[in-house]
Amino acid sequence: MLSVEGLAVRYGEVEAVRRVDLAVGAGEIVALVGANGAGKSTTLGAVCGLLPAAAGRVVFDGAPVTGLAPELIARRGMALVPEGRRIFASLSVADNLELGGAVHLDRAALEARRDEMLALFPVLGRYYRHKGGNLSGGEQQMLAIARALMSKPKLVLFDEPSLGLAPQVIDVVFDLIARLRRDGLTVLLVEQNVALALEIADSAVVIANGEVVLSGTAGELAASDLVRQAYLGD
Amino acid sequence: MIVQQIVNAIGLGGIYALLALGLAIVFSIIGLINFAHGELMTVTGYVLLASLLFGVPFPVAVVVAVGAAALAALVMERVAFRPMRGASVTSLLLTSFAVSSLLKVLFQNGVSARPQPISMPSWMVGAFDVGGVSIGVGPAISIAVSVVALAGLEVFLRRTVTGKAMRAAAEDFDVVRLMGMSAGRIVATAFVLSGIFAGLAALLWVAQRASVDPLMGFTPVLKAFIATVVGGLGSLPGAVVGGFLLGATEVLLQATLPPELAPYRDAIVLSAVILVLLVRPSGVIPAVGAQRS
Repeated sequence: MLSVEGLAVRYGEVEAVRRVDLAVGAGEIVALVGANGAGKSTTLGAVCGLLPAAAGRVVFDGAPVTGLAPELIARRGMALVPEGRRIFASLSVADNLELGGAVHLDRAALEARRDEMLALFPVLGRYYRHKGGNLSGGEQQMLAIARALMSKPKLVLFDEPSLGLAPQVIDVVFDLIARLRRDGLTVLLVEQNVALALEIADSAVVIANGEVVLSGTAGELAASDLVRQAYLGD
Repeated sequence: MIVQQIVNAIGLGGIYALLALGLAIVFSIIGLINFAHGELMTVTGYVLLASLLFGVPFPVAVVVAVGAAALAALVMERVAFRPMRGASVTSLLLTSFAVSSLLKVLFQNGVSARPQPISMPSWMVGAFDVGGVSIGVGPAISIAVSVVALAGLEVFLRRTVTGKAMRAAAEDFDVVRLMGMSAGRIVATAFVLSGIFAGLAALLWVAQRASVDPLMGFTPVLKAFIATVVGGLGSLPGAVVGGFLLGATEVLLQATLPPELAPYRDAIVLSAVILVLLVRPSGVIPAVGAQRS
């Protein structure tokens, strides 16, 4: 579904990410893990088109998307749940959901999809006419996920979904991601909380100082000394 | 007398609000204060003048003139600002000054540096009587046009997908693009709307002055810029409130200042602006982004 080969991203003279390779197969959850500032979100930014790639290529759903504008990549079926939720605070829950699918679906399909999302996230139905900014952090995360799912994407990128959430809410969010995968969704998960990410991922890539330092199945990484010492606190 | 002044205040405030909204719509999405906005007013004025000279009926000339402003705004975006997408705020600002200067020179050399008289229909001048109170036709038209335009914009922004996408883009343009919305279409729509509002404001401005000149847009756009800052840079409700506040303050001072202090009117208004910003640095109704930061 997604293949990243030799990706490099520069901020001016600084090479934030280099020689990053990763692959996400259909129906898989692949975790991109690492410490704060390792280059995870930069990689995600280049995959979805928000950041230009200095080198390498990104292939999505069989076609190269390197250098395409983010809206063009999104129209091919990639959606992002951004770090910090970034829901539209002054718009209602209803409008946030509508914008998530407006380009991809016709009116009838949009309404059907909205009903599916409200069934999946009942809390959004309760606050349907409320402004997104009035929701709690956990509710905003639900809205951000539902908004991304509105377009019926082939691949969803989650950028630090646990950030700033209460532990109970984190559990709910990760249970949900695992459930979405069981329903056939493909996920690239960027997460600082390595233990949580490895719990639900099929495979993972560890990134440090902008480079891939380890990759393998979630089980292999959970058992590796490097991951246990550096990220799991053993 | 008080009713007349209230009508004048709302009428002038309406013009400023329309202009301020045009500036705010573009700023909220791409972070550009378009100082060439005044030249969109000038385009409107000259196209109206030309249309009337060619014998086009007034209502048609009005539509053509406002349409010309919208088209000019779209061309401005495509030719000058789209190639600068992603550039710094300073670069965008300098580009807008360059566009403004270029158009001024074109008008001065291509038409005339002198004001050109324009004959507005007789029903647009004078006053009418309401319950013994004389109300100016010009301010009354300003109020009516402003109310209809603001209501139309409100419906557009709240009921259409493009309008909602524009409100969302004002908060977070990147995320809107990640939903597949075309950045070019959203920015172009913002410019077209700003052109329409500049065109409407220009018609009301020209109706009061009955002349068109290459610099006619400078003062009102400067006032509109002040209104957007007072209201909250990038905030659309703030732009409207800022416009009406500025209009009301100017009319109030005009009506109450003794003649010897009249030359200080603008200085007093700007002092009031500084006071407002000291109390509310992000403006009366800050933009969502400003509230976050």
